[in-house]
Amino acid sequence: MRHNKHSLVLVLVFFLLLPLLSGCWDAMEMERRANVLAIGIDEADEIDQKKDGEVAHLKDSFLKPKGKLMKMTVQIAIPGRIPLGPDQGGEQKPVLVMSVVGHTLEDALINLQQQIADQVFLGHLRIIVLNEKVAKRGTKRLHDVLRRNPEIRRTAALVVSKEAASQYMKLMPGLDRVPSLYLADMVDNLSALGRFPPSFIGLFWTIYSSKGQEAYLPYLTIKQKGIIELKGLAYFKEDKMVGKTSPLEIGVFMAVKGDSEGGYGAFVQVPDTDEMVMVRVRSRKNKMKIERKNGLPHIRLKIRYECEIDEKASFKMKLNDSRVLKSIEKETAKDMKKSIEKLIAKTQAAGSDVFGFGEHFRAKLPQYWNSEIKTKENWARAFQQLTYDVKVDAKIHRVGMKAK
Amino acid sequence: MNTRKITTIQATAILISTIIGVGVLPLPLFAVQEGGTGAPLVTFLGLALGAIGLVILTQLGIRHPQKTIITYSEDIIGKWLGRFCSLFVILFFFILTGLTAREFGEVVVAGVLQETPLEITVIVMLLLACISCRNNINVFSYIHNFYLPIILAPVLIVVALSLKNANLLYLRPIIGTNLPDMFIGTLTISALFQGSFIMTIIIPSMKNPNQAIKASLWGISISGGLYLLLVIATVSVFGTEEMKQILWPTLELARTTAVPGNVLQRLDVIFLAVWVTAVFTTLFSSYFFTIYSIKQLLHIQDHKMLSYFLFPFIFILAMLPQNIFQMYEFIKFVGRAGLLITILYPGLLLMIDFLKNRRLKGSASQQT
Amino acid sequence: MVVFFKKNNRMKKPDIGKEKGPFREGGKPGSDAILSASLDKTVAEIQQILGHSDDLVMKYFKVFGQYEAAILYFSNLVKQDSINHDILKPLMYVPEHLKDRNRPLGQLADLIIKETLYHSQAYPERNMEKLIDYILCGETLLIVDGMTEAIRIGTRNVEKRSLTQPETEQIILGPREGFIENIQTNLALLRYRLPTPDFQVKTMKIGRLTKSTVAYCYLKDIAKETVVQEVEKRLSQIDIDAIMDVGYLEQFIEDNPFSPFPQIQSTERPDKTVANLAEGRVAIFVDGSPFALLVPVVFNQFYQTAEDYSSRFLMGSFVRMARMLALVFSLIFPALYVSFISFNPELLPTEFAIAVAGGRAGVPYPAVVEVLMIEVAMEVLREATVRLPKQVGGALSIVGVLVVGQAAVEAGLASPITVVAIALTTIGSFATPAYSAAFALRMLRFPIMILAGIFGLYGVVIGIIFIFNHMLSLRSFGVPYMSPVSPENYQGMKDVIFRAPLWLMPKRPSFLHGANRSRLGKTIKRNEFGNE
Repeated sequence: MRHNKHSLVLVLVFFLLLPLLSGCWDAMEMERRANVLAIGIDEADEIDQKKDGEVAHLKDSFLKPKGKLMKMTVQIAIPGRIPLGPDQGGEQKPVLVMSVVGHTLEDALINLQQQIADQVFLGHLRIIVLNEKVAKRGTKRLHDVLRRNPEIRRTAALVVSKEAASQYMKLMPGLDRVPSLYLADMVDNLSALGRFPPSFIGLFWTIYSSKGQEAYLPYLTIKQKGIIELKGLAYFKEDKMVGKTSPLEIGVFMAVKGDSEGGYGAFVQVPDTDEMVMVRVRSRKNKMKIERKNGLPHIRLKIRYECEIDEKASFKMKLNDSRVLKSIEKETAKDMKKSIEKLIAKTQAAGSDVFGFGEHFRAKLPQYWNSEIKTKENWARAFQQLTYDVKVDAKIHRVGMKAK
Repeated sequence: MNTRKITTIQATAILISTIIGVGVLPLPLFAVQEGGTGAPLVTFLGLALGAIGLVILTQLGIRHPQKTIITYSEDIIGKWLGRFCSLFVILFFFILTGLTAREFGEVVVAGVLQETPLEITVIVMLLLACISCRNNINVFSYIHNFYLPIILAPVLIVVALSLKNANLLYLRPIIGTNLPDMFIGTLTISALFQGSFIMTIIIPSMKNPNQAIKASLWGISISGGLYLLLVIATVSVFGTEEMKQILWPTLELARTTAVPGNVLQRLDVIFLAVWVTAVFTTLFSSYFFTIYSIKQLLHIQDHKMLSYFLFPFIFILAMLPQNIFQMYEFIKFVGRAGLLITILYPGLLLMIDFLKNRRLKGSASQQT
Repeated sequence: MVVFFKKNNRMKKPDIGKEKGPFREGGKPGSDAILSASLDKTVAEIQQILGHSDDLVMKYFKVFGQYEAAILYFSNLVKQDSINHDILKPLMYVPEHLKDRNRPLGQLADLIIKETLYHSQAYPERNMEKLIDYILCGETLLIVDGMTEAIRIGTRNVEKRSLTQPETEQIILGPREGFIENIQTNLALLRYRLPTPDFQVKTMKIGRLTKSTVAYCYLKDIAKETVVQEVEKRLSQIDIDAIMDVGYLEQFIEDNPFSPFPQIQSTERPDKTVANLAEGRVAIFVDGSPFALLVPVVFNQFYQTAEDYSSRFLMGSFVRMARMLALVFSLIFPALYVSFISFNPELLPTEFAIAVAGGRAGVPYPAVVEVLMIEVAMEVLREATVRLPKQVGGALSIVGVLVVGQAAVEAGLASPITVVAIALTTIGSFATPAYSAAFALRMLRFPIMILAGIFGLYGVVIGIIFIFNHMLSLRSFGVPYMSPVSPENYQGMKDVIFRAPLWLMPKRPSFLHGANRSRLGKTIKRNEFGNE
């Protein structure tokens, strides 16, 4: 009889659950969602300032959040415009670009919702573009909503742009049907190709939270119509962007940081000649020792490069001698060392420890850290006084398929 | 019919799937809040404390292989005192059941079903446990045994996939900041092992009660090992500072992890869905323990109606905390207070039992 | 009427129903009439009971030219030739060896049976009621004036179809014959494969009207004694007027009639039956049904086929895994689809998600309604194709699937991806070899879909847990339904997800534990062959 009752209960429960179908609280059909694929954030200019939506607050009430308005440009996929299966040559624009203003990101999102019929859905948000000015003013006010909202992916890309972020939303690169996806894929691929250390919004938060390092983001510019270029690395102090590097310095940065994936190449002058060869880094090895010297933090950095020669710039020079290779190696090492020291000095001046030296001190010298540093601000100050020793060793293993 | 059917492996499986439950989601946060970078150490200490409690309980069970703590406590400290203490044990697991359901409902509502009323998710979960509780203890063990791989797999997969983002620097220094905090952390963590108390009702149904200690040790070391792995993975991916800002670091870990080949873009929803199983088994155990103990305390023959009878009370209890922060304060408090019941009380029982036995033996040898 | 055997309260009551029937089997005091010595009276009595059926043949003649006699039989149930040659002829002509002997009435029965008839199945019988039963079953009655017992002769000869390939369980490699309706043939097929004294067949008659022969067989020492007893007990408690098929029995003897899952396996294949007997199961047959019931069963049997064992183990394992995948598909695929589309589109790759949204753009219904609609249509279509004659069926399925599907998409009733998802599900449900198990999953798909419509993935998992918990609590003749997975058994696990090589499975399944557990003798290990 036990089974009998058991099953009856099952059936009963099932029928009790049936009315819940009318609930379907969370069911939201996919085509009823406004899939936001990309967000660009700019500072609102004078005209936009006046467009305050008054949706989340009243205009002259004193409960209004302080700070300047920001302008949010979003790219929303239009269902039906992006066809299933192979391209059927749609001429229509597959995405809708809209701009709204708001005091905070959430405020802007609410304003956006006020203007479109479908529910704003951030589950497919792949990339967030910050204008340089916004980044310099501080990104703190953006993060809270991004973290609270469970729809946001922690693997979404976050980049800093030289031009207005709204321009990126309107770009139409020809390589992909959906423009923002091209942008997102490009950023995602950077680290796979060794052009940039891993960077996504979750990592940004992690670094931003830890006491001994400062965050970095890719810095993009628009070249010509629809072409985007990685122009350097934006480094932060706390939540504010304080400077940017040149593209080649990204390679240097990766070397100090200890990313083994090489990708950058540089011209190196062959000693005693005017000739140049293109030396490309294949991989790096990084050894870091930390200590205190005269009460100040000190690091000893040892970097070993594995390189290959891709190209030589002239026909005259011969490249079939191991002695020549040795001398190129030495020259390369010297050049590298110089640029590393230059980059460290540059970030020190800005007080931004993008390399994460502080984490090493925190982890390996906890007593020093606990007694003297403890907070992020203290480390930023200590970092400016940090002394360092850099040793670079370069090895050229490959010269390609050419004998000379 | 032979009632002693539970094998050692089944007993181990019951322990593992009971211990691993909704507590896994905030576990790394608890560990980091109190231990900083010493979180793995705190977890390990918590595990050790939990293991001690379990070993005590198992020893008691082996000394009384026909009885559970509800019945042998009457033998050891007298009928009325024993019943009085059993009342607390039952009350504790009653509260634990409610809180488990609530905690999971809270996670589901925050993570996936934002519009769905919290009450509904809690009711569904409780109902599932409630109906399953109508089975006998053999089916109880089959169910635990069956779901074991489904419980272990998601955590292991997420941990394995997240290693790509790990940064070992975040794990150092291994010894955390200060000792008093670490001690409290240890207590909080070992409260997560309280599910192991289920062992007391399993031993009387085990084929071979002498193997119980083996099952206990295996059970707690596998589940504890999983906890440890999880704490190490989350700390090494997020670092301690970031973790203090995340309510459920385990879930966040699943969110950060992408499956190779982009089959699924995000793991957190899948993780949570599969995780329902783990929460179910935990809830099932504490629910089962509650009604089984009430049955033994009141000498009722059948526990099936009891399961429905308790349902509304557990539901009301689950709805008591006003918000998620109050709930977690409550959970931490109940957990630590529960250590008195799950470790200290059996410890005392074992001691008294031991002394009594020696006196009995002593008087017996005097007589001869 | 539903029978519960575990705590069979109902069956312990006295069998009131049995008293009512006009024909009863077995002799109860008071109800058996002894034949009278008068031929006319007896014939009249029989005619009164049987009524005036035109196919009842009555022929009067004289035995040995001496005694008035009659034979009675139903002309459709016997072979006329045989009656003429084997019965009438020897009785009418006095055989050579009897010519000179005295043939008194008192010894006549003996003389006829032992020395006259050319038939191996001839017995004296004096109970009227039994005689009626026999004649109804196709036997011939010989009644002699002055004798108080009649002689019944087993002349039953019913048309039967020839052995054909089993329709419901087609395989590529392996034996081709299947059971037919005739129980004798079916038992012969088993005997032919099991020439061992351990093979036991027990028969009984069930059905007040049909009086169907029910046989259960098992291998002594291999089948568990308690299971055999349980089968006997449950079968003997059945009291019903008509048994048309072995499925009638199944409904009476299964453990939990409310469960959607079959707890008894039915098969058309003699080889499969023998394999199961050799594992320690009991097979049940009914005359008139080409299926055998196998008990006890565990769930994993329902996705295994005979072929898994006859093909090489890698092949068998691979096919089995594909089948399991299909099984899972047929249960949860539509539900997963609903929860992905309406609850968690963020799980899909962005490009695909946008494309799916595009496909759904014109559909006016929520995904769950759309899926339910198409699923119901699919069920209707499937049922319709089963009922139709073969020639029309093919055409209908083409019309149904291609035309209606295409039109539904174009009319904006369903999105193309929904159609793909449902088609996959339907195909998946065909891949499960056991029809009854496939049906269970097909049915359970709907509640899970509805749960998915309410709670998304959370609902799907809740539904699955419900189903698994139910399966874990099921038992078939005392054997837990989910063994050997849970309760765990590592010997048995070798034959669940994959199939280990036969030489690696030396034991019979432990959950059926009979006395004799070894399958293999002490043979050399397989991998030693290569070293010789």
